[in-house]
Amino acid sequence: MAGTRLPRRKIAVYFADELLAGRNVTNQLAAYLVETKRVREAVLIVRDIEVALADRGVLLADVASSRELATETKDAITAYLKKTTGAHDIQLRTSVNTDLLGGVLVETPSERLDATIRHRLNQLTATKI
Amino acid sequence: MTGPLQQFAASTHEAGGDIFSSLGINGQMLAFQAIAFIILVFLLGKFVFPILIKAVDERQEKIDAGQRAAAAAEAKANEAQDEVAKLLKEARGEAKDIVATAKDEATAMINAGEEKAKSRADKIVADARDQLEKDVIAARKALHNDTIELVALATEKVVGKSFSEAVDKKVIASAVKEQV
Repeated sequence: MAGTRLPRRKIAVYFADELLAGRNVTNQLAAYLVETKRVREAVLIVRDIEVALADRGVLLADVASSRELATETKDAITAYLKKTTGAHDIQLRTSVNTDLLGGVLVETPSERLDATIRHRLNQLTATKI
Repeated sequence: MTGPLQQFAASTHEAGGDIFSSLGINGQMLAFQAIAFIILVFLLGKFVFPILIKAVDERQEKIDAGQRAAAAAEAKANEAQDEVAKLLKEARGEAKDIVATAKDEATAMINAGEEKAKSRADKIVADARDQLEKDVIAARKALHNDTIELVALATEKVVGKSFSEAVDKKVIASAVKEQV
């Protein structure tokens, strides 16, 4: 792989398959990007890997809220994502952002659910004429 | 009447019968005087009367010329008077026309001025109304925006402090339910 410049999608598919096989390929990916001088594409490749994983039923979702989410809330979100995406394995990456004021922001490679109070206030402010 | 004549006849008869002698008239003297008279008349008619007649004629001519000139002057004065009267009449007519035209023009100008002033006033009023409406709309917009800003700010302040975990959970559950 080191000699040729592979498309991002192929790289993403390869590493997604590796991850699903249970192998830790983080260092390998980092080494590849450094060697091929594609470090600046790291974010894009990671996103492509997430898309590839989602295609294989493993969904990584970023969940942001103003406070730590309760287990039942996480379960509800997981159930919602399973139902809407058809993924069988949902991984939530939670984070706390007090600027959101309340509610939750769920981002997947293909979807975005912004149910935060900040978003609603922004929508309200956007109605200014 | 007969008395003096009878007396004269008697005296003549007594003196010898010559009538000229009885009257005291000398025949020679009478003839001389007659000739002198004729010569005088001739000389006067030859040398004096023509000069006098000529002077009188000239004087008469001058008087006639003066009279003619006066008559001509009178006629000219009459003509001039008539001309003046005619000119005055024409001038009065023209003045009347000018006054009438001026009145018409003044009336037209006044009407035009009034019309213009009216249209201008209408435009000013219309512009003022438009401006007022725009101001009202702008004020409404400003009020609307300020209200939204205030509501957003107040909500942010209030929610930031009073948004409990239970409410948050409820909001999230409701959002997820809506999406499903």
